[in-house]
Amino acid sequence: MKPAPFKYYAPTTAEEALAHLAEHGYDAKVLAGGQSLIPTMNFRLAQPSVLVDLNHVSELFYIKPGGDGGVLVGAMTRESQVEHDPLIAERAPLVFEAMPHIAHPQIRNRGTFGGCIAHADPAAELPAVSVALDARLRIRSQAGERWVSADEFFVGFFTTVIEPDELLVEIALPPMAPRSGCSFQEVARRHGDYALVGAAASVALDHQGRCQRVRLVFLSVGEGPVEAGRAADLLQGQFPTPEAIRAAAETAASADVDPGSDIHASADYRRHLVKILARQSLTQAFDRAKGIGG
Amino acid sequence: MAIGAIGKSHPRIDAVGKVTGATRYPGDQNYDDELWMKILFARRPHARILSVDISQAESLPGVVAVLTAKDVPVNEYGLQIPDQPVLCGVVSGKQGADIVRFVGDQVALIIAESEKIAAQARDLIHVEYEDLPVLTDPRQAMAPASHCLHPHAPENVADRHRIVKGDVDSAWANCDVIIEGEYHTPFQEHAYLQPEAGSAYLDEQGRITVRVAGQWAWEDQQQIAHALDLPPERVRVVYDAIGGAFGGREDMSVQIVLALAVMRLAERGIQRPVKIIWTREESIIGHCKRHPMVIKSKWGATRDGKLVAAEVDLVSDAGAYMYTSNKVLGNATLTCTGPYEFPNLRVDTVAVYTNNPPGGAFRGFGAPQGHFAAEMQMNKLAEALGMSPVAVRLKNILDDEKLLSVGTPLPGGVSLKQVVEETAHAAGWQTTARPAGRSKPPALKGRGFAAGFKNVGFSFGYQENSWAKVALEGTAQIEQATLFIAGADVGQGHHTAMLQIAAEALDLSASRIALVVSDTAVTQSSGSASASRLTFLAGNAVMGAAERALACWREEERPAVAEYTYLAPQTMPIADVEGQPSTPNFAYGYVAQSVEVEVDTETGAIHVIRVVSADDVGRAINPQQVIGQIEGAVVQAQGYAMLENFQVEDGYILTPHLSTYLIPGVLDIPDQLDSIIVQHPDPRGPYGVRGMAEMPYLPLTPALIAAVHDATGVWFDDFPLTPERVLRGLGKI
Repeated sequence: MKPAPFKYYAPTTAEEALAHLAEHGYDAKVLAGGQSLIPTMNFRLAQPSVLVDLNHVSELFYIKPGGDGGVLVGAMTRESQVEHDPLIAERAPLVFEAMPHIAHPQIRNRGTFGGCIAHADPAAELPAVSVALDARLRIRSQAGERWVSADEFFVGFFTTVIEPDELLVEIALPPMAPRSGCSFQEVARRHGDYALVGAAASVALDHQGRCQRVRLVFLSVGEGPVEAGRAADLLQGQFPTPEAIRAAAETAASADVDPGSDIHASADYRRHLVKILARQSLTQAFDRAKGIGG
Repeated sequence: MAIGAIGKSHPRIDAVGKVTGATRYPGDQNYDDELWMKILFARRPHARILSVDISQAESLPGVVAVLTAKDVPVNEYGLQIPDQPVLCGVVSGKQGADIVRFVGDQVALIIAESEKIAAQARDLIHVEYEDLPVLTDPRQAMAPASHCLHPHAPENVADRHRIVKGDVDSAWANCDVIIEGEYHTPFQEHAYLQPEAGSAYLDEQGRITVRVAGQWAWEDQQQIAHALDLPPERVRVVYDAIGGAFGGREDMSVQIVLALAVMRLAERGIQRPVKIIWTREESIIGHCKRHPMVIKSKWGATRDGKLVAAEVDLVSDAGAYMYTSNKVLGNATLTCTGPYEFPNLRVDTVAVYTNNPPGGAFRGFGAPQGHFAAEMQMNKLAEALGMSPVAVRLKNILDDEKLLSVGTPLPGGVSLKQVVEETAHAAGWQTTARPAGRSKPPALKGRGFAAGFKNVGFSFGYQENSWAKVALEGTAQIEQATLFIAGADVGQGHHTAMLQIAAEALDLSASRIALVVSDTAVTQSSGSASASRLTFLAGNAVMGAAERALACWREEERPAVAEYTYLAPQTMPIADVEGQPSTPNFAYGYVAQSVEVEVDTETGAIHVIRVVSADDVGRAINPQQVIGQIEGAVVQAQGYAMLENFQVEDGYILTPHLSTYLIPGVLDIPDQLDSIIVQHPDPRGPYGVRGMAEMPYLPLTPALIAAVHDATGVWFDDFPLTPERVLRGLGKI
């Protein structure tokens, strides 16, 4: 099928794009890489009357070092560019590790970093990664701009705090703290499919080697990125021994998530995967924080 | 190319067109004045139609006609028996045609100016149904109290076989070890790239012409003519390019209804082409599936690994209609004791009607299910005896003298020992005890072995035949030849192979040979693209036609034209008298495979590291195409074994899309696949050819599951081995 008729704008500046959004409000949809929007339009699941295409807004395509030692990523930067960028590999290794899990190369060539986050698919990798990293998101409107932390950005199923007249323009990935490490793990039925369960872990140790910061976030088990707060609390201030990690993983599976069943996997199996992936991702993240392993 | 044309990897003659997009599949045929058709499917598993109200649909602007059961002259069809209504409905000459027996039964046809209007009109048709009890378990459907789905099948039995050899009951006493198992095999969807599509019109001679993608143009013509109550010559079937088939196009989908639409429109003075393209969902609902089967096996052997006795009870879910369930059951019956000799056996098999999607032809045709049970039993026997699975097979494997279950030896030269040994050698079974680099938990490596055999061609008493025609033009020398054949090139490369055989037989460059294919106006029956039969049967026909045309040429005929119909050796049905020998088939192909896997015991995921497949193809006309068939069969079987999870609940299909029914992608196939082409000629095949397209499908599932057992110590008697099923088997969830 082909999409229902719509009005099409191709602004060349963010300012221009924001003017269209201000004018059309809820009737408008922003087109980034189109890897989710275009199929849903072709199936007529989405029928926006106005499309604001950001592909000519060159100011939104960039990866640059942040002043704090992190990385700033323009919302329209292609996923494949992020995947192969040396600055990302050095300063945001969790992002680097997660990128190849996003669908297939053809999709990453068109899909954008900001588009994936703004779309807020609960099965997508980058929303979970952005929460695990405490990424900050810059949102602009004609009235000005605001910064939102990733954990406040995702509101629910395909829903974020972005208002109809607003645009996600930049993602700020904070620097890796000393003695920190991260890990991304996922299980899918086939290569390139949405994950049955995925886990993003980001941890930091104090001088004594105790857990100073633990962020463990799952995808595909809820309405958005699901943070394992109870599991993290269990580890906070503790030495990350195999026993402690195992207990945290058990807690994540039993208390932090409530996955559903569908045609591809039962809730029991998903819960089991949460436990396994929690243990694997935490173990690898702590090993990396200690300087062990790759 | 001429003498020496065969045995070479001649590039596929259809390759450039398919890669560039120039090739036209049925859905690519466009006409200036075309009309579009949509079909109203019943979408309920068992119900009586009380009334069909088409008045609203008919009055929608842009709707040209709405056809129902009363518009079908002879409201029945079927490849084996005509047990299926063309359209289910109240007013029709066919008894029982008011009953819907599965979700894919067709109820009405809507012909309109556009596909969109046709779809809108379809949704305006009001059908009043009375739901009936739904039979989903064939074992329950056989019970006397069950509702009878077809008047011709009391107790819902579509077909059954019994084979008895020796004296099973007293043979158990001579067995040192007995292996028992109950095996369950799943549905499988063909999932060919090209969903069903077609167009139909009146040709210049007024024939109802149907352009589709099928597997046997002549048979399509016969079935259309029967339902329309027309002489076959009033119906013409032409095949456009075919985007995969695997058995799923053997039975009618859009053929009869397209022809019916053109006929009824012409009666109303409307002579416009009619076109239909099924969506993927319509395709998955609308055609048959691989039969699910339940197979109970009890085998006994001596301490040194000699098979003594077997008892097998097999129940096949035929689904709503016969399709090819009787023939599939025949193959399952022959293969469920494996390629081994048993002095004593009893095999009871039955195919049972239910309200599930119909079981039909699918690559292997009953042999994958039979082999799953047989090769699982063999691998369990090897384990119980502490023997190598290779050694225990070689002790029992059929050869030129040993007798198949039906009491006769296999014809045509038996190479089972050779394919087993070649696979075992290449995969290192005789040298190393374990796969190299055995990994540590949670990832465990293992390897498994299985062998297989299957008949080539239709058989069980059917007189196999295949037609070809050759015309030679020129004066002193042959300048141009035309080869007429009607075998369907479903993607396997049949046309290229026949061109090579013609070039060889005529000693003429392939560039001087034109092909005329699959048009019942100018070709006769070359038989179905099924049962690994075309290269063997149609190859013999092409050779015969070429020889006769050359004889005419030598007699100075210009042009020299000759037709030839090859008739295969006669076969017979499995004898219904106990203990009486029968020869159900005239040719066979042989295969053995080794599979290495790695199992993640925490997630349950299986990774296939390596497959070795030795296939006796008799003679490889085109080695590259042979390897393509091996690789395709292995990947398709791997999907069957681990990934493809066709789910049916209360007769409803839960996986009618490729997002819910997963098939392997390019990144999900084995890391390494070693195809070994064995060439042990069949004396009756053209240049020694055996059929081969199904055989590499057969051993993969039991070999893969044996590899998982080798890795984990757990036997899985049902599949697909989804990660979840593996973990449940390991007791982790």
